Amino acid sequence: MKNRLKVLRAMHDLTQEHLANDLGVTRQTILAIEKGKYDPSLELAFRISRYFHTTIEETFIYEVPDEIPP
Amino acid sequence: MKKAVFYFLTFAIILLEFVLFGWAVRVRAPLLSVASLVLGIAVIYIARMYVDEVIEDERTQKIQERTAMTTLQVTWVALLVFSVWMIIEGAGIRAPPEIRRLGIFGFGLLLTDIAMVVVFVLLSFYYRKQYGE
Repeated sequence: MKNRLKVLRAMHDLTQEHLANDLGVTRQTILAIEKGKYDPSLELAFRISRYFHTTIEETFIYEVPDEIPP
Repeated sequence: MKKAVFYFLTFAIILLEFVLFGWAVRVRAPLLSVASLVLGIAVIYIARMYVDEVIEDERTQKIQERTAMTTLQVTWVALLVFSVWMIIEGAGIRAPPEIRRLGIFGFGLLLTDIAMVVVFVLLSFYYRKQYGE
């Protein structure tokens, strides 16, 4: 799953540390999400989207894997 | 409490536990070692509640879950292999007493392995109920 977290964070001029503190997660989690190494839970995804006043679809882009039919 | 202070405190407690363990062995006082272990764990647990920064979240929990599961699987297999090997070694009729004791120890290990499976199954039933089955 791709995401626009890094872009949104830059737009709001926030550091990873600041965003992590506001969301109640570790800085490493923000880093992992930005790198696409970790997909957040639905709850955290909602929290991130609401934090930036966007929708989940605007923040996270779900790509259907090749083996799963749409 | 800052995260770094907590980690330093944890490290200091672990170090102290090793020293106390060594001393307890020397003076043959198992109660001292056990009491210090329980106290040490309690202090770390309480100190963890006073950390201002986030040290655990859903990602770290997921990492811990996967690590725990893999550790459990590896331990199961390793215990099973060692216990079966020890039981067979110790079961020989002409085996010397030391080797026979190894067989008894193997049975102990096998029972521990079975106990782990039983606890795992019971807990999985509990969590299945909790997550809506």
